[in-house]
Amino acid sequence: MEEYELLTRMERVEAPPGFEQRVMAQLGLRKQRRRKVRRLTLTLSTATAALAVVFISVNFLVLAPGSPDRMAGLEQDISPDFQADSRSTSRIHTIPITEALDFSGEIRQVTHEPRTIYILEQVSDRTDTRIIY
Amino acid sequence: MKMDEQALIRRIQSGDEAAFEEIVSIYKHKIVNFLYQLTGDYERAVELAQETFMRVYFKAHRYREIAPFSSWIYTIASNLAKTDLKRRRRHNQVSLDDVQHRAYEDMLSTDNPERSGMEKNVQSALRGLHPRYRIPVILKDIEGFTQEEIAVMLKKPVGTIKARISRGRSYLKRELERAMA
Repeated sequence: MEEYELLTRMERVEAPPGFEQRVMAQLGLRKQRRRKVRRLTLTLSTATAALAVVFISVNFLVLAPGSPDRMAGLEQDISPDFQADSRSTSRIHTIPITEALDFSGEIRQVTHEPRTIYILEQVSDRTDTRIIY
Repeated sequence: MKMDEQALIRRIQSGDEAAFEEIVSIYKHKIVNFLYQLTGDYERAVELAQETFMRVYFKAHRYREIAPFSSWIYTIASNLAKTDLKRRRRHNQVSLDDVQHRAYEDMLSTDNPERSGMEKNVQSALRGLHPRYRIPVILKDIEGFTQEEIAVMLKKPVGTIKARISRGRSYLKRELERAMA
């Protein structure tokens, strides 16, 4: 096969002089660049991790919601009229309601929908009935 | 030589630069020549050869001793050349390097005009071949690999490699006949 012979007898080119030195120099540069990138990546990940720790700490330790007992008395703060009404109807037997809230459950169930607020209001003038849930 | 090469590779894998320099001096001419035959551009071939050796150093941990080291280095070189050819075809670049390439060709032609004229025809015909056929033909007929080795390097079945080499050679024969007519 003539073309095969021509291919095998083709003049071969060689690498230029100083090729090895060029390669070794480039190797040094690349290693330096990789070290810089690795250092930058480490710094960024450490900063991100520290930020995450601070955020979690602030959220759960500093800004944590109050105890269940305080929450139960909250309805009085919501409605100032409630206090006036309660004084005038002091002969009404008031049943204290203490509801323990499961905070971890609340967090798990967090959604992006608007929160539902339940306002308890006396709907009947009859005083001899107890509030039944 | 192969046993020494395996030892050198193991040293490169542990970061030994002296071993890497030795591999570069063993393979530099072969890789530059191979890339020159593929790209037709001497300066580009030298740049790609440098990049090939960079990848050899930084990816040495990926080399498995199941295949010869030469196959692995040629695989890296041919992948780089393929990417470069695709990119250049897309951008249709004509660079100053082409001038140097022509100067290199002129240098060849002053040495032995008769032979170099035929060589020019062969090189021109080779460059006309699609890389799909050019790479196996160069690896087989110029670099001396077996079809089985080329199949491993290019991750193709041996039958496919045989067919591509055969088609590549037919094309070269046709082009050379046309050039001589």
